[in-house]
Amino acid sequence: MTGVSERHLLFRRLSAALGRHGEPAGAPHPAEPTSSAADADGRNVRFSRALAATGGVVLSGPPEEALSALGETLRAEGVTALFFPPEDGDARRVAEALVPFGPFSLTTGEEVRGGNPAATAGFRTADAGIAETGTVVESSRGGKTLLPGLLSDVHVAILPGSSIVERMDDAFALYADDPPRNISFISGPSKTADIEQTLTVGAHGPKKIIVLLV
Amino acid sequence: MQPTAQGFARSAQKALNDKSLQAALGRTTGRFLDHRAAAVAAFPGFEAARQRASEIKLESLSRLDQYLARFIEEAERKGAVVHVARDAAQAREIGARIAREEGITLSVKSKSMAAEEVSFNAALEAAGVEVVESDLGEYIIQLAGEPPSHIIAPAVHKTREEISRLFERKLGEPRTESIPELVAIARKHLRAKFLGAGMGVSGANFLVADTGSVVLVTNEGNGRMGTVLPRVHLAVAGIEKVIPRMADLPTFLRLLPRSASGQTLSSYTSILTGTRREGDREGPETMHILLLDCGRSAVLEGKYREILKCIRCGACLNTCPVYQSVGGHAYGWVYSGPIGAVLTPLLVGLPEAAPLPDASTLCGACAEVCPVKIPLPDFLLELRSDLRDQGLKTPGEIAGMKGYAGVMKRAGLLEALERVAGLLSQLFTKGKPVEGLPYPFSGWTERRDFPAAAPQPFRKQWKIRRGAGG
Repeated sequence: MTGVSERHLLFRRLSAALGRHGEPAGAPHPAEPTSSAADADGRNVRFSRALAATGGVVLSGPPEEALSALGETLRAEGVTALFFPPEDGDARRVAEALVPFGPFSLTTGEEVRGGNPAATAGFRTADAGIAETGTVVESSRGGKTLLPGLLSDVHVAILPGSSIVERMDDAFALYADDPPRNISFISGPSKTADIEQTLTVGAHGPKKIIVLLV
Repeated sequence: MQPTAQGFARSAQKALNDKSLQAALGRTTGRFLDHRAAAVAAFPGFEAARQRASEIKLESLSRLDQYLARFIEEAERKGAVVHVARDAAQAREIGARIAREEGITLSVKSKSMAAEEVSFNAALEAAGVEVVESDLGEYIIQLAGEPPSHIIAPAVHKTREEISRLFERKLGEPRTESIPELVAIARKHLRAKFLGAGMGVSGANFLVADTGSVVLVTNEGNGRMGTVLPRVHLAVAGIEKVIPRMADLPTFLRLLPRSASGQTLSSYTSILTGTRREGDREGPETMHILLLDCGRSAVLEGKYREILKCIRCGACLNTCPVYQSVGGHAYGWVYSGPIGAVLTPLLVGLPEAAPLPDASTLCGACAEVCPVKIPLPDFLLELRSDLRDQGLKTPGEIAGMKGYAGVMKRAGLLEALERVAGLLSQLFTKGKPVEGLPYPFSGWTERRDFPAAAPQPFRKQWKIRRGAGG
């Protein structure tokens, strides 16, 4: 068991380097002061503004108008197939309602993972939104899939306005007790500037992120 | 990675003569600096976050044994297997063993400087694994067979023409001048690798002690794909990456992207804790975490402990006039710029990296931008004295510095020498800068002119002006 003894040796080196043994860990630092008011409406506005700054799109308002705008955006992006977690009722309703708005077929995360080459939009209900950074939070909590926000060309996150928190600290607090395997903060489209410092979207993940505020 | 920092002067000269590199460097560092400055200006809490981040890191380091023990305990409780490597050879051995035991033939890797330190890819390849770098910049330089030249933009030295030629040669893709098309080509090739890989290798931006989590920050989403899709996730990280609490993350996340690329937050932040849970639809069945010492515990002990606060944002590179001129390769190892000039000697040994502490003008710009307040210029100076103490300075340089110190301590002598210099300057160059001096001073005048000495010594001018001003 070289691993165990190497670990032991590491801790011996660390104690020697620190010149002491077993000091208690310090008290947590106080949280940074919170910046702004806790009004829910203002928070949604701040979230939308911050998301737009990352290149994301927020759709809200009457369902028919939002659906029509969404359908138009997906067509413009060349999307032909839609997928959603089968158990995610809200995502299913939105995706199914969209079918008449374009030549869209329905597919599954497994097919997309299997290498289905169609341009896809992946739908999922987000865990939370963060106003501070315009972030959509999605996790594997409760066995939820991450594929819609991962493998799609356009990701549509369905976000109840009541799930928007003010700061990153509030979002981490949702998970701190027992974090699921995967917590993903999504702040804008997948992008790269690795070639000549030219910002280009769609490096690996979605080229567009659309948040449907409900 | 084998350090070649001793050849700094020669590599730097080569970089200075490379026109396309010079253009790329100017463009990249300038843009990063502008974006960073704008992001910092738009965030009034930046200074407070910096102070706090520095304190949290100091606290983590001063109790690193405890926080690391907590991290290991939590990570293992959540299903991860934690390995410890004392040095690069051990890290490679562990990596190869994991790959063999897991039966891996294809692995996707997201950027990890720690893995680069120990030549991790070579170890996996020797174990029969195809390792594909999935960060676009890293992918490009992997195809080209080169080391990275910037912490967060490893392919800054490549033009789109060079990249297109590379994709044509290595991937059989048609030539294109369009950057979006080049990105799409890489996306297509890498997507197939993500879907087929048995193992995802990642680094770690942070290790969270109270939850056992590995935190990854990327813009492309490669770190996320490689840690959600493959059956095995292997994270490679230096032991100094540990922070005490998940509640500390927001502070660091407010600093890292702003300092690195000027973003409020990078596109993707992944917090990865243990293996997939029962009922999870995806996520790795096995998670390995390989913790590297590789010289860090020795650094922890000495006067350079604070260098371990570094969160690898790259801001000190972009702001450094030396880095702006010579780029990353000249530094001869994984880390470049001011952080490299300090960290490389500490991790590979001063004799192997003797030129690096001198690769600085001590202008102090790096310390001004560092998001965790590392006193980089102080450390560079300190390393210069270490060089002398270890007998790594030439007798000529030591004598020269002694002479300089002797003169500077004697005002009268300095004034007398200034008079002589002023006289010589009037006589030989008519008060113009000196363009050529004999050896050993030619080392200075080869690349720059020596300013002309003033006709009158400073102290005399001072007296006259003060007299005139009453």
